[in-house]
Amino acid sequence: MEGVSGEVGDFKVTLLKKARYIREDKCTGCTTCVEYCPVMVPDPFNQEIGKSKAVHIYFSQAIPLITYIDQSCLYLKEKKCGICETVCENDAIDFRQKDQLDQINVGAIILAPGFEPYDPRVVTEYKYGIFGNVVTSMDFERLLSSTGPYEGEIRRPSDQRHPHKIAWVQCVGSRRVTPGNNSYCSAVCCTYTQKQVILTKDHDSSAECTVFHNDIRSYGKDFERFYERAKNLSGIRFIRSYVTISREDPVTKNVFIRYATPNGVVEEDFDLVVLSVGLNPPKYSKELAQKLGIELEEHGFSKTEPFNLIQTSRPGVFVSGTFQGPTDIPESVFTASGAVSQTGQLLKHRKGKLATERVYPEEKEVAKEEPKVGVFVCHCGANIGRVVNVPEVVEYASKLPHVVHAQEQLFSCSTDSAKQITDVIKEKGLNRVIVAACTPRTHEPTFRDSLREAGLNQYFFEFANIREHCSWVHSMEKEEATKKAKDLVRMSWARAVRLEPLGEYELQVNKTALVVGGGVAGMTTALSLAKQGHEVYLVEREKELGGIVRRLHYTLEGLDVQGFLRDLIKEVYAHPLVHVITNARILNATGYVGNFVTRVQSDGFVKEIKHGATILATGATEYRPKEYLYGQDPRVMTNLELEERLAKGDESLKDLNTVVMIQCVGSRNEERNYCSRICCSQSIKNALKLKELRPDVDIYILFRDIRTYGFREDYYRLASDKGIRFIRYEPQSPPLVGVTDEGTLRVTVEDEILGNQLEIDTDLLSLAVAVVAPEGVEETALKFNATVGLDNFYKEAHVKLRPVDFGTDGVFVCGSAHYPKHIQEVINQAYGAAGRAMTLLSKETVTASGAVALVDQNACISCGACITVCNYGAISFEETPKGKKARVNPVLCKGDGLCTTKCPTGAVQLQHFKDGQIMAQLDAAKGETDILAELDRAVGE
Amino acid sequence: MESVNLSEYKEIVEAIKESGAKTQRYCFQCGLCDTTCPWNRVRDFSIRRIVRQASFGLAEIENEEIWRCTTCGKCPQRCPRGVNQIEVGVGLRRLATQYGVFPNPVKPIKTIAAGLVAQGNPFGEDRTKRANWTQEIDVPPFEEGIEYLYFPCCYPSYDKRLKRVAMATAKILSATETQFGVIGEGENCCGESIRKAGDEELFRRLAKENIKNFIDAGVKKIIATSPHCYHTFKNEYPEFRVNFEILHVTQYLFGLLEEGKLKIKGQYNRRVAYHDPCYLGRHNDIYEEPREVLKRIPGLTLLELPDFREDSLCCGGGGGRIWMETPKEERFSNLRLQQAVEVGAEVLVTACPYCITNFEDGRVVLNLEDKLQIKDITEIVEEVM
Amino acid sequence: MAKVIELRQLHRLVTGKKYGDVMVLGGGISGIQASLDLANQGFKVYLVERAPSIGGHMAQLDKTFPTNECST
Repeated sequence: MEGVSGEVGDFKVTLLKKARYIREDKCTGCTTCVEYCPVMVPDPFNQEIGKSKAVHIYFSQAIPLITYIDQSCLYLKEKKCGICETVCENDAIDFRQKDQLDQINVGAIILAPGFEPYDPRVVTEYKYGIFGNVVTSMDFERLLSSTGPYEGEIRRPSDQRHPHKIAWVQCVGSRRVTPGNNSYCSAVCCTYTQKQVILTKDHDSSAECTVFHNDIRSYGKDFERFYERAKNLSGIRFIRSYVTISREDPVTKNVFIRYATPNGVVEEDFDLVVLSVGLNPPKYSKELAQKLGIELEEHGFSKTEPFNLIQTSRPGVFVSGTFQGPTDIPESVFTASGAVSQTGQLLKHRKGKLATERVYPEEKEVAKEEPKVGVFVCHCGANIGRVVNVPEVVEYASKLPHVVHAQEQLFSCSTDSAKQITDVIKEKGLNRVIVAACTPRTHEPTFRDSLREAGLNQYFFEFANIREHCSWVHSMEKEEATKKAKDLVRMSWARAVRLEPLGEYELQVNKTALVVGGGVAGMTTALSLAKQGHEVYLVEREKELGGIVRRLHYTLEGLDVQGFLRDLIKEVYAHPLVHVITNARILNATGYVGNFVTRVQSDGFVKEIKHGATILATGATEYRPKEYLYGQDPRVMTNLELEERLAKGDESLKDLNTVVMIQCVGSRNEERNYCSRICCSQSIKNALKLKELRPDVDIYILFRDIRTYGFREDYYRLASDKGIRFIRYEPQSPPLVGVTDEGTLRVTVEDEILGNQLEIDTDLLSLAVAVVAPEGVEETALKFNATVGLDNFYKEAHVKLRPVDFGTDGVFVCGSAHYPKHIQEVINQAYGAAGRAMTLLSKETVTASGAVALVDQNACISCGACITVCNYGAISFEETPKGKKARVNPVLCKGDGLCTTKCPTGAVQLQHFKDGQIMAQLDAAKGETDILAELDRAVGE
Repeated sequence: MESVNLSEYKEIVEAIKESGAKTQRYCFQCGLCDTTCPWNRVRDFSIRRIVRQASFGLAEIENEEIWRCTTCGKCPQRCPRGVNQIEVGVGLRRLATQYGVFPNPVKPIKTIAAGLVAQGNPFGEDRTKRANWTQEIDVPPFEEGIEYLYFPCCYPSYDKRLKRVAMATAKILSATETQFGVIGEGENCCGESIRKAGDEELFRRLAKENIKNFIDAGVKKIIATSPHCYHTFKNEYPEFRVNFEILHVTQYLFGLLEEGKLKIKGQYNRRVAYHDPCYLGRHNDIYEEPREVLKRIPGLTLLELPDFREDSLCCGGGGGRIWMETPKEERFSNLRLQQAVEVGAEVLVTACPYCITNFEDGRVVLNLEDKLQIKDITEIVEEVM
Repeated sequence: MAKVIELRQLHRLVTGKKYGDVMVLGGGISGIQASLDLANQGFKVYLVERAPSIGGHMAQLDKTFPTNECST
């Protein structure tokens, strides 16, 4: 991107398209050029651990899956070589390509430039690039990966041996005010390290793994359990100490690490040291900011609006992902959807004007024809071809009955090859297509599309997986693998000839949304949807909107929360498309994606709401502690209670000499095995406020791990700067709180570093209590077919990739109902849920798969087994002339087939996976040798 | 575990802050300081604990521990929170000095202080003999108008071994036609080390006298032999609102070589390891100039020690430790000598009188007299010019 | 990886003249998600990436926490 002019609604962006020296339309990704290229270069994708060629594909699953030529190319450097040009059969090499300037006009811009891993070479203390066996965590990811430099074997740089004793050093480049490091916490390293530890143990169960850290920051959803899991593996140590990487053994090249313990410094050697590097702003962020005319915050990330981290300093330019600040994948995903929602607010009038729907040819009626099967066997570059004899498989397939066409393809999934499939279908009148390649997970949609393009029902497509199920797992047994590939093709053939065409279900979408919960999350989502032209019902259990935020008054950064809340509530009430119902109870909810009906009761009336999407934003609440004399001594209170007193301007707070705060009250224990995420920052926030009131007040914060992730770390240091003292306690010896005979409130806690038991006589004790799900969350979940997790927070469809969706289509989640969050994070996620809901609400219809269960009501004996087992509530009884019979609502059915296994009479059949189709496939597995005979023999022995 | 009630320590917390120890409040107990501290190579010592004690008022000022820190600068260089452990330690020593509590190994400080008060040098040697090292060579006294004051430091002025360094330096300066002179009697110890040993008042007195004499004599530029003098002139004397132009002798030598004023005629066919003095390297970021000088000496093979540049291992002489007693088995200098022998050095060269003192002692203790020579960089240059 | 495939399905939907509704800068997980959501709502998107392939850093990761699922 070279520059941006214009303004919101009409940006002109100049782009520089770098020469690839490859004609994108001609390259098939066959990699012949790569084989012949004589120039070896360090592979950038593999962190330069492995080698690659000057012409190569960026990585095995790159999109587009075509080569590019690197500047190390001999021809580009000195006009020599050019071998690739000669060997390329498709004429795809083009050395005349030049960088091209291009201009595009757009209405809005979303920035998602990501981050740059911290480079530990900036300072010498990490010894990266100095000691051979010190690698970064990014290097280690590649070592772990099956597509990495050693094909998934962990080998260390010095001698390629498998390291057995590995150390991870945390906070490399993070949480340090020394030059060359970042003051903030990079927020992801603690947990990715635990992941690497677990994966290392998967590779080598006897591996000894040691993690050196100062606080473990497992503040995200399910992170605490993940930490426990890593910690409890055998041979794992988590040691609380930053370290000195001191020396290298001249012979073994092992790396020595010095670490501190309360009993002195220990020096120990490791086979390999992994630096858990943090997240820097993207490399070109300054340049980018300048070209875009946006401002950066002090650490070099995007500056944003205080209560809207998606909005940059320039209207029409939004930011998602780690450019907001260090963050993990789910947040990068929902801030993306959030940026989309805010874009939609701006550009709703343009929707659908430039993009065009795809139109497919009309489907031909072929069900009654003789099967005419086409088989396409994919080489997948060398992935399959190197192991399986593809021509032999083609030859074999061509001899199977009904097969009228069989051929090989280098990459069946390439645009060219997919089109070739379409052409052959038309040309030869195929009515069944088998592709023998990879898994339906990746490319089934691609090939179904090829069928549709040829006017064939997409359910006539069948996939044979000869990569994951064959070439990848039998790479050493080429002959056997070829035989197995034939078996797999034959099995697919047996099923393919029995396939039936299926229709998909088109459903109208109701354009109205229902938002359950009128806190900041619910209000933000509701407003964003309304601003995109959708009617929204916002229902709230309490008398007033605002939720728990009504009790918050300021943020760690010093923002005025109540002012923000007032404005938000005002805006909600003022928007004509948002209908607020307070004092509301959800009576029941029925329907399915695009067509829900929910009955809401409030103040004596019942309203029936028809809506296409549902967003659950039911929030969270504060745990009522039983610990530490809470409720028994008036000097003991929760953080929120203290905040309320601070906000009210309680004069007595100015007389306090000593204040103690205890962290993790009700969190991170057996009963609630999760971190409440916000309490460390909350305590620091209150402590800083108290210091403002009275600078000489003594404040002690008793904690287990301080979890001020991201930029919040700066406030942790600020708190220290203001003289707030932090004392670590271990869960096995928690602080003791008592009242002395004189009536003094006394907190006693051990300090391991001092080697003393500290008694603190305090005037006030504030408890950082857990954030818990509100009562009735399970009931609400049940009504909307949503799920709740172990800790009673809603469970999303996919932790990483679908963080605000539920498994149930059309239902979304945001805010603290998903997991405790800071207010800006809640707003981020609320916009995210709105963005996701908009992908549904902006459509006229939705399509549901045809591969759903169907009940033969004649065979149904009304036992209800299928109804009980269905996770989606897709089956119910309906009254028929023959009595109650099970009926599947095809729109709700996810096609998992559970019901078919439970039905005692076989009345339920899963379309596309009917018994006959599957049995035929299984029978075909036997092939020429009779398995039963073999079994008999085995039993006989 | 001993139980303490923190309300009883509030006043001590304040007293510690007033003594100049302030940054302890930043500590988040990561322990990095302990892992980088040279003490933990010879015995257990926790600067982290001292810092934390200071912040809770639980400091044990009567204890020897607060006197251990050699102010080598390794931990503040890396502290992720910006704690200045040296300042914290010095603050505690000021308190101890104020209360007159000195554990046995620290007791010599009293005599040293007396010497500094009476004669302006830690040995209590006669002030009038300060320039006696110039007797055998021709060194002019400093007068108004001369470009450089050469400030040799107390050790090269009085110590038999180190006088050779002062003389070598003076010879180089003369040979390169540098306009320089010495003050001699009117010169005091720079005061750097006694300040680190907690005697702030004495430091101020020495510094003020020096400043007055320098100004009276018309000094503008100073060449210093000791990195400690260099450090305090450059970074601490400005507290008195004076700004002399300060050069360490290695910087000056490098400049001479660059300008072609210093010609190396001879060869030095030895394997030489260079030791970075803490106050030259870590405290003042001078790593290149001494190495550049050595690299330009024909025949000289320059070796690096295992802990070099930012990681250099302290000789043990800073922070007033040069005057305190350290048991043989706890001397860092001995480790350093072993490192030099292990890399195959015949000469261990450095640029600090304290380092040379400690290394020469260690050479005797470790019986390395035949194997390893200790040199100041000026001694080598003088030999080959 | 599933996201990338989905994106390819939409590919044809978003090509055409050099007028678009939105430019998404960066083809990592966040940029891909934004492009998908936009295209699914009928916006024409230009997804601009510096590297030869989209995927970003997530493509370099072996697995992801806390479920240890494959990253690509």
